[in-house]
Amino acid sequence: MMDISSFLLFWAAIFTSNILLTNFLGMCSYLSVSREVESSLGLGVAVTFVLTFTTALNWLAYYYVLVPLNIVYLQYIVFIIVIAAFVQLLELLLERYVPALYYTLGIFLPLITVNCAIFGVSLFMVIRNYNFLQSIAFGAGSGLGWLLAILMLAGIRSRLKEKLIPAGLQGAGIILIITGILALAFIGFSGVAPIQ
Amino acid sequence: MKATTQELKVTARMQPGIITLSGFLGDDTRPLNEIVADDAATLARLERSAEEIAQRMQYFTDESWNTYLGGVLLDDKYQVETEVYRGKLPCPYVHPGVFRKAITRLTNSANGISVAWTALSIHLIAEHGFFEGRGSAFRLDPEILVKALWD
Amino acid sequence: MILVILKDIAVLAGLSGALALLLVLAQSILNNYGECKININGKRDLTVKGGNNLLASLSDKAVFLPSACGGRGSCGACKCKVFSGGGPLLPTEKPFLSQAEIAAGVRLSCQIKVKTDIAIEIPESVYNIRKYSATISEIIDYTYDIKGITFMLEQGDSIDFKAGQYVQLLTEPYGKVRQRVSRAYSVSSKPEDRDRIQLIIRLVPEGICTTWVHTQLKVGDKVSFTGPYGDFFMRDTAADIIFVAGGSGKAPIKSMLEHLQLVGTSRKMTYFFGARTLRDLYLTQEMKAFEQVFPDFRYEPVLSQPQPTDEWHGKTGYVMPYFKEVLRDPQNTEAYLCGSPGMIDAVTKALLELGLSKDKIYFDSFG
Repeated sequence: MMDISSFLLFWAAIFTSNILLTNFLGMCSYLSVSREVESSLGLGVAVTFVLTFTTALNWLAYYYVLVPLNIVYLQYIVFIIVIAAFVQLLELLLERYVPALYYTLGIFLPLITVNCAIFGVSLFMVIRNYNFLQSIAFGAGSGLGWLLAILMLAGIRSRLKEKLIPAGLQGAGIILIITGILALAFIGFSGVAPIQ
Repeated sequence: MKATTQELKVTARMQPGIITLSGFLGDDTRPLNEIVADDAATLARLERSAEEIAQRMQYFTDESWNTYLGGVLLDDKYQVETEVYRGKLPCPYVHPGVFRKAITRLTNSANGISVAWTALSIHLIAEHGFFEGRGSAFRLDPEILVKALWD
Repeated sequence: MILVILKDIAVLAGLSGALALLLVLAQSILNNYGECKININGKRDLTVKGGNNLLASLSDKAVFLPSACGGRGSCGACKCKVFSGGGPLLPTEKPFLSQAEIAAGVRLSCQIKVKTDIAIEIPESVYNIRKYSATISEIIDYTYDIKGITFMLEQGDSIDFKAGQYVQLLTEPYGKVRQRVSRAYSVSSKPEDRDRIQLIIRLVPEGICTTWVHTQLKVGDKVSFTGPYGDFFMRDTAADIIFVAGGSGKAPIKSMLEHLQLVGTSRKMTYFFGARTLRDLYLTQEMKAFEQVFPDFRYEPVLSQPQPTDEWHGKTGYVMPYFKEVLRDPQNTEAYLCGSPGMIDAVTKALLELGLSKDKIYFDSFG
């Protein structure tokens, strides 16, 4: 068990160990959806929702099913199955109650399933031996950290629209450079709150 | 290159009997992206862009639009006529918009080449770089098309 | 060892099964919208099973909104006003709606999912649209590419339409064509013949429906169609009329003239039929016969490219130069045009130059 309060872990997951800018997980949809601020916000909230619940569910699955039955080696498969089922459930809920967001996100909603940040957070939770409360805090914090990162990039991209960028760097080139600079900024936080 | 789901959807819409009678692919067995790529290579060799070609086609269609019951002779060598039928067709690439069934027939008396295209052909070339599959009813071979439009 | 493996597989299967069951349950609860009421024009209520789009739900209950793309969101023809229950405006609808339309609550019915009770408004003419079953009783070859087909409605059934309106014919799969399509054709028979309709259908290169009509249909075949649609019909005034329609555009004019023959009229009318060569002319005798029926009617076929073998001694070129010969009072003249957009543009321009007012020029511009 890690000796760190859940509260501190929550904030650390957002800033000092940002899942995207520090660990570089969850890049694909981050790069594509950050075109528009509104859909970035929508996707970020969806990812946070998925992260919080799947981390909690996976913690329960790990400590109450996998460990007692001695099938810890199946954790990869089980975690992915839980994540996939949960994202499907989220899709059904969104289609019913928030259809505008459902259609705006389009293909990116089921793509949350294969967002490596989601899977990564569950694995981190196992490796670092978090307890249940810590896992929830870590999941929620990582989600908000991902949301923060994608919102920052969306904001920057909206300002980039009228700027002159050299032809070779247009598109993915300049986006990745910006992401790198954002990551550099966040490195300044490292060491503030050790969570592993 | 493996076809994406989007391409598979578009290819399905290009089959005979979905939008037009014999479809847009003729008896071509190449996947869609290969057809577009091969024609793009021909275009590069001919040093003409798809947009240029589409603009030229649109020019001929516009000039012959109001001369609905006969043709018009342009530049002393292009005999063009456009015939419009009732109704509109959607583009096989899934996006909003429908196109009139306007068929333009052009004969270049300098080299004797005749080509025919529809309003949808112009859009397919301009927006999607698609000249239709070999053996399709309105297949426009870029080389022949360029010769007919400019030489 | 085997037992351990089997146990592990069983646990995995059990877990997956439990999650799948959960999803099926969620699906049946969340996707089950129960029965929803669609209120039309404040008058009629339809009860439908929720979960389908509005266009399909309405057509299941025999209310047919116009659609050119079959509900795929490509054509924008299925607009209707939604007062309540339509949910938020979707990004797939925006390209087809103007700001004014959005403000008025106009939506694309093929994109709205019926999830709750919904109140809509559709024009009365659309409301009258029905689906009909008919049997082919006659096929006439008018020209090398035009056929006239008479469809008799089912015993006891009748159709109410105005001369000039059109129907959407539904095809059956044939040859390589595995799907059904629907295409628009003007009705060429008079509205007083309520037990049948005649359509004049011209073969379109690569056309799915016209090829079906020209190669598959025989007398005795059963077909379906929906209608009537359209706002191209004669206005009941005493003004002079100029008709201009070529090719299959003759259909609505034929319907109008046959109708006028029955109700009687003393209006001065001229019908200019523009065609290329002699073989494009048809129903010439019938049209010429109208000259004896009406007090002041002239049928003027005009050929733009007569062949020497045609031995044509009538009018040649385009129809526009002949208008001033028959124009008496431009302000008291109506024009009914049916044909390609190029023809409509050219003829409208000529008529406006001759002094007709724009709101008295009516046209059916082929889609």
